[in-house]
Amino acid sequence: MSLFSKLNLELRRRTHSVVPAEAMLLEPASAPGLNDLRERLDRWGQLWSAGKESPDTSAQELITERLTHWMRLCFGERMPTSLHGNGDPVSLSSSMPILTAFLGRRATRELSRRVLQGI
Amino acid sequence: MPRFVRSIWIVTAIHLAIGMVAYAHFLIFRRYEFIAQYFAILGSLFFLLMTAAEFSLALICRSWFDADELMRFAWSMIALAGLARLAGTGIRIGADGHLPWDLRQWFIPYRGELFANLGQLGMVIGGPLSMAFLAFGLGRVLSIQRRFRLPGSLTHGDKALIVLILAFSISQLAINLPLLRGQNSLGTILLWMSDPLLALLLVQAVLVRRSVIRIGQGLLAKCWGMFVVAIVTTSLGDAAIWANNHNFLPESLTALSWYIWFIPAAAFASAPAYQLAAMSSTRDLHQVNAL
Repeated sequence: MSLFSKLNLELRRRTHSVVPAEAMLLEPASAPGLNDLRERLDRWGQLWSAGKESPDTSAQELITERLTHWMRLCFGERMPTSLHGNGDPVSLSSSMPILTAFLGRRATRELSRRVLQGI
Repeated sequence: MPRFVRSIWIVTAIHLAIGMVAYAHFLIFRRYEFIAQYFAILGSLFFLLMTAAEFSLALICRSWFDADELMRFAWSMIALAGLARLAGTGIRIGADGHLPWDLRQWFIPYRGELFANLGQLGMVIGGPLSMAFLAFGLGRVLSIQRRFRLPGSLTHGDKALIVLILAFSISQLAINLPLLRGQNSLGTILLWMSDPLLALLLVQAVLVRRSVIRIGQGLLAKCWGMFVVAIVTTSLGDAAIWANNHNFLPESLTALSWYIWFIPAAAFASAPAYQLAAMSSTRDLHQVNAL
């Protein structure tokens, strides 16, 4: 047995689990909790893709307005229409890839934080 | 206008204003002393300042991208192009000894055979080598633009311009290739690569310009637009040298054509400044408050 294997075995023997065994037993989530999670995921999904069936139109409009502002500032006044066509609204899902490509992940992360501020 | 870009063009405007005084002196008195001093001292310092700004700003832009991001390579190449221009300018200024404080004492005397002299080495580093780096960088920018279908279709005028550029490059190669048999230094041969590389950059500039026209005048569009301005004005400077070599320009216009070279230097420095402004605008509270 190599020295490394011996050390590894010894380390495993001495290492104790950081999570108590009783905490590892997963309890099934309650129905209201699951519903709440589903609603949140649906809402974020709609905000991400700017779905027209979204019930939260004011948040949607705010996101579109903010994204359009950044797209105009970074690329140009014709960018929102040239990228999305005249019909489709500007959404997070359609804008983030191009912003990430040209501004980088760090700047886009900051930008998305600004866009989603207060929503 | 972003802060850095404004500073670059204010310095350029002041520099050109002083240059116009020197030019007026030359026109009135028909003497080269004042204008020669202007280009040797202020001109050299201006090129050093602008290339240093271009390199450092491009390096900062590069640092905003992670190692696996595509634009990281583009900005690495653009930063290397800036570094090559800075090194080339430094070597040429040092070798020529134009500045009042003679820098030649700091340079090891060049005794190699690859280059005619140290000044030619500076010209190769600041010319074809820098252009090659920039061509790689712009090539990557164009490939990312194509991925998002940003470049618009070429017009007949664009196509005619590209054909003209290619025809000129081929004609220059046809002139230079037979000279390869002669006793030319490596430096001379590498300098012949300037024209084909500039042609490649011009073709790239035409394609980049189409995307700028399509999307508008945002900060990133202006960044790419500045590369177009820099490449086109470099070509104009080259054309002026060609016209002067063939005695097509009168003496007064020849002196005026030297001023062209300050514009690409400022434009090359402005391009990363616009990119940096776009990236740092995400942290700018004025922009956030404007929402």
